[in-house]
Amino acid sequence: MDFSILWTEFFGLTLDGIVVGAIYALVSLGYTLVYGVLRLINFAHSEIFMIGTFTSLGLSIVFGFTGLEEPLGIVLFLLVFLVMALASGIVSGMSAVLLEFVAYRRLRRRGASRLSSLISAIGASFFLVEFYRLTTESKDWDFPRMLSKDPIFSISSAYFTLDKIIILLGAFGLMFGLDRIINKTRLGRGIRAVSQDEKTAILMGVNVDRVISFTFLVGGVLAGFASTFYMLFYESTKFNVGFLLGISAFTAAVLGGIGNIRGALVGSFVLGLIQQYSSVVLGYNWRDVVTFVILVFVLLFKPTGLFGEALQRARV
Amino acid sequence: MTKLLEVNNLTMEFGGVVALKEVNLHVSAGEIAALIGPNGAGKTTVFNVVTGYYQPTKGDVLLNSKSVLGLKSNKIARLGLARTFQNIRLFGDMTALENVMTGSDSRNKVGLVGSIIGTSRSRQEESLSHSRAAELLNFMGISHRSGQLARNLPYGDQRRLEIARALALEPKVLLLDEPAAGFNPQEKVELGELIKKIRDAGFAVLLIEHDMSLVMKISDRVSVLDFGQKIAEGTPSEIQNNQKVIDAYLGVVDNAS
Amino acid sequence: MSSIKIAFSKFNLRDSFGAWWENATKKQRIAFRVLLIGFFYALPFLDNPILGTPETNFQSVLFYPLAVYVAMAVGLNIVVGKSGILDLGYVAFFAIGAYTHAILGTFYGVSLWFNIILGAAFAMIAGVILGLPALRLRGDYLAIITLGFGEIVRIVALNLEITGGAAGIAGIPAPPNIFNVTFDVLDPKPHYWLMLTFIMLVVWMYIRLGKRRPGRAWEAIREDEDVAEFMGVETTKYKLWAFILGGAIGGGAGAIYSSQVASILPDYFTLNVSILVLACVVFGGMGNIWGVVAGAILLEYLPEKLRFLSETRILFFGLLMVVMMNIRPDGLFPRKKREKVYDKVTGQEISR
Ligand SMILES: Nc1ncnc2c1ncn2[C@@H]1O[C@H](COP(=O)(O)OP(=O)(O)OP(=O)(O)O)[C@@H](O)[C@H]1O
Ligand SMILES: [Mg+2]
Repeated sequence: MDFSILWTEFFGLTLDGIVVGAIYALVSLGYTLVYGVLRLINFAHSEIFMIGTFTSLGLSIVFGFTGLEEPLGIVLFLLVFLVMALASGIVSGMSAVLLEFVAYRRLRRRGASRLSSLISAIGASFFLVEFYRLTTESKDWDFPRMLSKDPIFSISSAYFTLDKIIILLGAFGLMFGLDRIINKTRLGRGIRAVSQDEKTAILMGVNVDRVISFTFLVGGVLAGFASTFYMLFYESTKFNVGFLLGISAFTAAVLGGIGNIRGALVGSFVLGLIQQYSSVVLGYNWRDVVTFVILVFVLLFKPTGLFGEALQRARV
Repeated sequence: MTKLLEVNNLTMEFGGVVALKEVNLHVSAGEIAALIGPNGAGKTTVFNVVTGYYQPTKGDVLLNSKSVLGLKSNKIARLGLARTFQNIRLFGDMTALENVMTGSDSRNKVGLVGSIIGTSRSRQEESLSHSRAAELLNFMGISHRSGQLARNLPYGDQRRLEIARALALEPKVLLLDEPAAGFNPQEKVELGELIKKIRDAGFAVLLIEHDMSLVMKISDRVSVLDFGQKIAEGTPSEIQNNQKVIDAYLGVVDNAS
Repeated sequence: MSSIKIAFSKFNLRDSFGAWWENATKKQRIAFRVLLIGFFYALPFLDNPILGTPETNFQSVLFYPLAVYVAMAVGLNIVVGKSGILDLGYVAFFAIGAYTHAILGTFYGVSLWFNIILGAAFAMIAGVILGLPALRLRGDYLAIITLGFGEIVRIVALNLEITGGAAGIAGIPAPPNIFNVTFDVLDPKPHYWLMLTFIMLVVWMYIRLGKRRPGRAWEAIREDEDVAEFMGVETTKYKLWAFILGGAIGGGAGAIYSSQVASILPDYFTLNVSILVLACVVFGGMGNIWGVVAGAILLEYLPEKLRFLSETRILFFGLLMVVMMNIRPDGLFPRKKREKVYDKVTGQEISR
């Protein structure tokens, strides 16, 4: 264990932790929202994210970027990036809606057991991973650098580059937007109603099917945007990119208290920071083990997370 | 008479909702005690607390004068509290006989290793469980359903099977949550007779029921809950003439029916 | 299309065979068993154009993937099928068994016969350590935790010295001869027979447990855990038993596996393995041991036989899980018998 790097690199690690945390936050919101309405972990959500990364990548290829050209100016870059993010958001959002339709809806209508729904979702997840593995030839795919990553300014070891700034601003903008959607739109209020008490929501005339579709759509769109940010930051993707990212985002959601939106955000930043710090102390290889251990410990000792309300036992 | 089950000063809160407030109840050996009250009065919550599903906010639950608070539900069940459910909860993919045997298993000792080896005790207990379960199905008048999956049984037989399964635990007190719900008058009369037979066989019964004529006919003692508080207790005739009860409860039923 | 779907969701091999079995005499039943067992032991010699596999050696296919996956599926079936505990990290137990023999056999000269038992024991210990706390959790949390456990075991194997890191361990010894049967890498038959014997032992044990008290407790837990508690079932204890028994079977199978392949590396023990085993259990029919065996045989054999399936098997298995859960959640061979159904309200018999 080497703590000295932790001190010299502290600010840099903190900045990266927040940036990574912002990406986790967008993905973990999808877990938390779906959990709210279905009381189920959407196992295939990580694949919705993965689809987003390949959508961004695909667009970069369509646009003809190779990564060898001069960096774009900021305005042009933002334009290109916005198109990519929107496309990824739309594709991921539609995929999530489709996923719910194929893997969950019939089972929910039939009142199937939780086990059946989980297996169905896992099946869907593996189908998607494998489909992308085969079509992308199991390769690492590099995302072309379109923007200079020279630091704009720095605080100690924290180098503020444009990509990090864009990710942070973008993620916070999206979270703000989500807040508006959940609190101000009819469907958003439907999400809250179904999350609190599905039976009453039905009595109140809420169309549960539509609300659930909408929840998947919102979660998917956020994951799609997150995937473009991810590509900007890490500049590479692979068919199994969703697995570890999904586990991290899910851990973040649990850490904050699953079903709780504010919790998902806080949990994401906390996890992002812990991962950054621990990977220099223990070594990068153990980063994912650390994540799992956090997940296990939270679930075992504080399953309600940092902010979760006490989960009531089901009524008998 | 000895009090088998005692509920002392029980308070149960869910978040802000006070489902039970300082409730005192008891069930004595050899009696059918009834627990009545309007919808949402907290009757089922009493069952959930005494069987260890919820931890009460305040108060105590005694079984044979020993507190069962904090024990696991399975332990409480084996100590002598068996229950049925307001909305039937059978093991749907198991046969009627297996459902009841699962109940009688709680009286057995054999463990996993014994079951693999097939020790003589394991074989003895298996056949005992089997014959006891068959007997109980017969007692409840559903022995012809023995080999059928619980979820495929007609509604009434599902209710009867729940009682058989609970009886298989040989409980000190049998807790019945609206066992006559959905029955026609004829079936209700038969069920009443059956419950009396159960009492006469030596099981004390705590009965939650909305059907007043059934309750009044078979109960030895009736307690009334309203908004989580006990508002009256007494013999059926006392309860029928209690103004508080009439106000709180019987009026509601009359309006509804 | 919909009529095909109905036909598929209604067809029930179990019932037709079940009817024959019910009516069979004792002699017929024994004869059937002997024939079946004999058939499986003789399988390595039945390498012909009809049964044989075009790309790979038929006898090695029989050992891996067939026998290995059948063993794991039978083990996982206790956990997922019988008790309803979704374990997505089953490969961890398999890996623990495999590394037990690889390390103890290669570096300390312990024979496979001990290592099968030790591998099972270590898997059980791991099962207790993980299960004791984790089994308190709800199903979907448990699924994620076990998934994490599976990955942790692999990552640990990847990073430790004793496990050889990414390169793994090579030169794992096979057991000494018995009855002139030589165990070695070149001839997969003896290991196949060994695994087959292991499977039969496990199935025998499972059947005994399944129809007795533990079987009922497991099923009750699968059907409704709360109610099982109310009926006096010690749910924590029985869930733990299911979990570690399943684990022990995975561990034993892992030890035999590493003895046959002679070298193992962490890459053999990915999440995919867990999911493939799960697919076998789901496809065959959760909780029905014969269904699970048949499901595992079919799912592992078909990709070897049909070339187009071998590259894309996970794709198909994933799809299969979705389709099965949607239209035939009981699997190809459901555990329960078809029977009369009654209208819940009127009590009238409904014809299906
Ligand atoms: N798990 C729970 N969480 C929150 N509130 C609960 C819970 N269980 C019960 N309650 C509340 O406690 C009150 C009493 O409910 P309970 O089910 O005990 O009533 P009941 O007398 O059995 O009514 P019914 O005749 O309709 O069955 C109700 O207001 C109910 O909403
Ligand atoms: Mg009630």
